[in-house]
Amino acid sequence: MRDMGTLLEQLTSTFDGVRARLDDDGRMRLEAEKESVMSLLSFLRDSGFDFLQMVSCVDWIDRGSMELVYVLSSYPSTDGGSGDLLYCILKVELPRDRARTVSVIPLYECAEPYEREIHELFGVDFHGHPRLTPLLLEREYPVPPFRKDFDTRKYVSDFFDSIPPVEEEGGAQ
Amino acid sequence: MRELELYFGPQHLGMVGNFSITLQVEGDRVVKADANPGFLHRGFEKLMEQRSWIKNFPMVCRMNVVEPDSMEMIYAMGVEKLAGIEVPERAQFVRSIYLELARVGSHLFGLWAYANMLGFDTVAQWAMYHRDLVLDLFEELTGGRVYHIYIWPGGVRRDFPAGFEKRMVETLHSIGGCVPDYDDTFFNNSLFRSRASGVGTVTREQALRMGGSGQVLRATGVPFDVRKAEPYAAYSSVPWEVPTREKGDAYSRIWVVRDEMIESVHMIFKLLDSMPGGSVYTRIPNPFKWRIPEGDAYVRCESSRGELGLYLVSDGGDKPYRAHFRTPSYPHGLTVLEHALEGANISDVGNIMISLYVVAPEIDR
Repeated sequence: MRDMGTLLEQLTSTFDGVRARLDDDGRMRLEAEKESVMSLLSFLRDSGFDFLQMVSCVDWIDRGSMELVYVLSSYPSTDGGSGDLLYCILKVELPRDRARTVSVIPLYECAEPYEREIHELFGVDFHGHPRLTPLLLEREYPVPPFRKDFDTRKYVSDFFDSIPPVEEEGGAQ
Repeated sequence: MRELELYFGPQHLGMVGNFSITLQVEGDRVVKADANPGFLHRGFEKLMEQRSWIKNFPMVCRMNVVEPDSMEMIYAMGVEKLAGIEVPERAQFVRSIYLELARVGSHLFGLWAYANMLGFDTVAQWAMYHRDLVLDLFEELTGGRVYHIYIWPGGVRRDFPAGFEKRMVETLHSIGGCVPDYDDTFFNNSLFRSRASGVGTVTREQALRMGGSGQVLRATGVPFDVRKAEPYAAYSSVPWEVPTREKGDAYSRIWVVRDEMIESVHMIFKLLDSMPGGSVYTRIPNPFKWRIPEGDAYVRCESSRGELGLYLVSDGGDKPYRAHFRTPSYPHGLTVLEHALEGANISDVGNIMISLYVVAPEIDR
């Protein structure tokens, strides 16, 4: 396993536009442009970050951006050796009105359901994802429902108050 | 042979929980499996954005019906990290004991589901009865049987009542005394062995590639446990082992569960022996006016099913700006399950799903 400080220096010298810092608790914090996500993640994977814990998304409506958050860590070595574990949080900002990026499934297979969920709940498009079909929801929504401008209460009253009563079919009896 | 599409669940005797799998089958072989979650999607993460920090506790525990305690723990850990709250030492011990008790209860419930699905009804009834004894302890400690809302930012709600430790030890001894019966009737039973060994094998390489944790990974020989990797509560205060198996099939996974239960009980005894005195909570600001400084954090703990994580964001307000849970069943029930089912026999579908320890509400949230 590599030392986090050296890794940090390598990252900032190899990649342009990557802002990196080390947190008090030893977690690496990275911020990058969406164009460098693939190369950055592939570098991180080769440096020992073999465990993508989750992909998350935050809607910063005031800033007009969608923030994708990749939480990475490492598995302990299988021979029982006790190397220090690595931790990293990588953030990528996308414009809110054109939230598109590339899928990271070729690097981390477990990203598949996370990206699918983020596509459904936040309306982010992942280029190269094999099935961006609905995962959890049943209906179509005017705005992806986990975005901040989706008003849950208004939707419930608009949608469910307006369901017409079940009509009896003529002559069914 | 003709390929057919077969819906497995949510209304199916072999399915535990509200989950469904769409199978492409040829004869009785599964060609392709599509996990189909969402029957329990309640949008908790969105609803949490509309409630103050403290009001979210009754919400988070409902994400995992089987083991709500880890959900309380992870949310409390997230809030503590963002707000910079220290937890007193005794509270750390109480939390660990409480979480291990919850792990035993949850594993007994899992054992019920698995034994029941395979037709070992006697074992299933024993497990359910023993889980009920654990729930009695929770009822005494917290007032609730299923949802406890006991862990709190800064500690736990109350200390153990008088005589509780003694009753807990007695209950655990009486459950532990039945381990030989469980072994004879279930774990070492050749019927069970032939039903579970070689079924739903997930190799180490696959488990690592697909974000596996918990039993799925430990059954392949990787001693990965968040309690060891990044200790929280009082897990670094006492010695304990991470049980593993090598083969990665359903049989290995359920044996890991069995060993873990026993390890948890031993851990509770050790923790009780070295329990420090003192307060069990730190005072927090008025929870109804509580604003938490801007920031974000990823925290993780080991639930009974694997790594449970939470990405929590605060914008400096009185409510979470965003909360996203990384539940262990999510990669196991969606990515790993689909792979494990390819080429399996139809009669093994429920077997594989339950042996992967998938719990549906955790996936949907």
